[in-house]
Amino acid sequence: MSRAKLSQSGIELPLFPTTSVGSFPKPDYLTKGRARFKRGEISLERLRELEEEATTFWIRTQEELGMDVLVDGEMYRGDMVAFFAERWQGFEMGGLVRSYGNRYYHKPIITGELHWTGPTTVNWWKFAQNQTQRPVKGMLTGPYTLMDWSFNEFYGSRKDACMALARELRKEVEALAHAGARIIQIDEPAISARPEELTFAIEAMHHVTDGIEAYFITHICYGAFEYIYPELLKLPVDNFDLEMSNSKLDFLDHVKAYPFIKDLSFGVLDVHSHRIETVEEVRERLQKALAFLHKENVWVDPDCGLKTRTVDEAIQKLRVLVAAAKEMRGREGAFASRCG
Amino acid sequence: MELLLAGVGSYPRIGDDPSLQNLRRVTDQWEKGQRTREEVRRATEEATRLAIQEQIEAGLDLVTDGLIAWHDPVSHVAGKLEGIAINGLLRYFDTNFYFRQPEVKEPVRWKEPLLKDEFLFASQISEKPVKPVLTGPYTLARLTILSCDHYKNLKSLVLDYAQALKKELEILALAGASSVQIDEPAILRHSEDWEMFREAFDVLSKDTRLSLILHVYFGDPAPLYESFQELPVEVLSFDFSYSATLKDKIASLGSEKPLGLGLIDGRNTRMETETEVLGALHKLVPKIRAPFSYLCPSCGLEFLPRDRARGKLAAMALFRKSLGNGGTP
Repeated sequence: MSRAKLSQSGIELPLFPTTSVGSFPKPDYLTKGRARFKRGEISLERLRELEEEATTFWIRTQEELGMDVLVDGEMYRGDMVAFFAERWQGFEMGGLVRSYGNRYYHKPIITGELHWTGPTTVNWWKFAQNQTQRPVKGMLTGPYTLMDWSFNEFYGSRKDACMALARELRKEVEALAHAGARIIQIDEPAISARPEELTFAIEAMHHVTDGIEAYFITHICYGAFEYIYPELLKLPVDNFDLEMSNSKLDFLDHVKAYPFIKDLSFGVLDVHSHRIETVEEVRERLQKALAFLHKENVWVDPDCGLKTRTVDEAIQKLRVLVAAAKEMRGREGAFASRCG
Repeated sequence: MELLLAGVGSYPRIGDDPSLQNLRRVTDQWEKGQRTREEVRRATEEATRLAIQEQIEAGLDLVTDGLIAWHDPVSHVAGKLEGIAINGLLRYFDTNFYFRQPEVKEPVRWKEPLLKDEFLFASQISEKPVKPVLTGPYTLARLTILSCDHYKNLKSLVLDYAQALKKELEILALAGASSVQIDEPAILRHSEDWEMFREAFDVLSKDTRLSLILHVYFGDPAPLYESFQELPVEVLSFDFSYSATLKDKIASLGSEKPLGLGLIDGRNTRMETETEVLGALHKLVPKIRAPFSYLCPSCGLEFLPRDRARGKLAAMALFRKSLGNGGTP
């Protein structure tokens, strides 16, 4: 069904389409450029040039590697929540808090009524898409995660804050779709945080996606899926992009008990490990997935964004991923049926 | 009754000022092979010193070392036990903070001190008593992947963790600790496991000369309140931010044990008002039939930016002052 939806929008994909979750490591010149910009040593225009150069590098790299659905690599973002909070009304930027180990992020604070201030990601999506014939995903952070990963000093409840974010995020989705994005990914890594809130998280996603012509993906990672599956499948998206390898494919046990009824982007690379997986390892992971999933529903990608790896590590990992997907195509049939 | 001010665990390891980012910098360079482990240790100690200093400056009577050396509340404790391997990342309850998940491969046993060196360092530099913090046996077991045939059920793993932590309590007592906080957030989500939880605390408390403080957070303690009162611990410390009924329950039933009143939300930057906190204290304090209790944050403070964490601790001191009579209403 989802392949038919993609086909209708002119996108034909092979079996086991390869993609990435979103972020890539920033090349050294951009990391240094961002630090210099913070110190006031280079202009915003110069920083923008460096971000464009890095985005172009990653588009070329993904094409050379043979990826099927591309991402812009988020060279212009520091953090997936702060990026939106810095641009929308109603947020203030909070101080640093720890994410894990030695990783920290600026956690925003909702201090007033939230307002979308105009296209936030559209120009970057256009910039990336203009450089390639392959589809580039529009990339957004979902309303539940924007709410959960911000402090709330304004709205009376978490649900109120989430719904306000959904209302504003829909405007960004409409702008992306209007600009031509046919695949839009809405990241919701926080969605398993409080299982009792899944109902309003689903309601919020309906506000964001209902009636908009696009193939929607949601990325979820490092959560306790056992508490929200199969209820999770009610999220109104076509494809679930799930971290699998970090959790040793545990999620498949749940799929065994209740069939997965949508497309699944299957995380085959542990993004927190420096070690480069072997083609055989990745292929084995995919073969395990095929015991429970239909081959036409399986996409292949890393567990999560690769931004914490080095540029070389990220490229090597993606090379393995593509090689494994190609081997699987050879085994399972050349190309998927085009009628879905 | 005397109302004391206490920290309950973690403290921010970083601040927005570059001078407060040395530990991050040194650790990052160590990960790239540019620094030695000894340099990371020194940076950790410096950050610990600062965390303790800020707690004392805010007026706390009982401090922690801020858990500055901890990667996370689970792997830092479980990772040093025999039989445990450390696995991938998993979200810590409903936070945006991730821990490395333990995997049990063989029977769990204590093999080396877990917190002794950190406790000795903190005690040496602190003018105020330092309270070590241990993640409890039930929470550790709940968050552990079972990969060996030795454990047929959760209870057997909980009790082995309890035996291992009991040994650590002895070590901490010998090192000079007078109280230890045991964190058990997981029990608030699994009240059906109460019996094994209680048995684990029987193990921990047997023949100990330590004052055990049970701290539960990230959930509503009200449904288990009466059961908590029966546990062999000296102090019960609660997160009030998840419960609509806990204050009423305590006001109604009172408490035979000293309480940790976690009325200061460690998960949100919004500052509590004096009206809110004093209102709660006036309701709760007269019902506590014990010589002392603590006013404290609902959970460790590393979920907040450093300026807000400091601000909240300073506000606690003001609230106590406003309460008057040295905290005795």
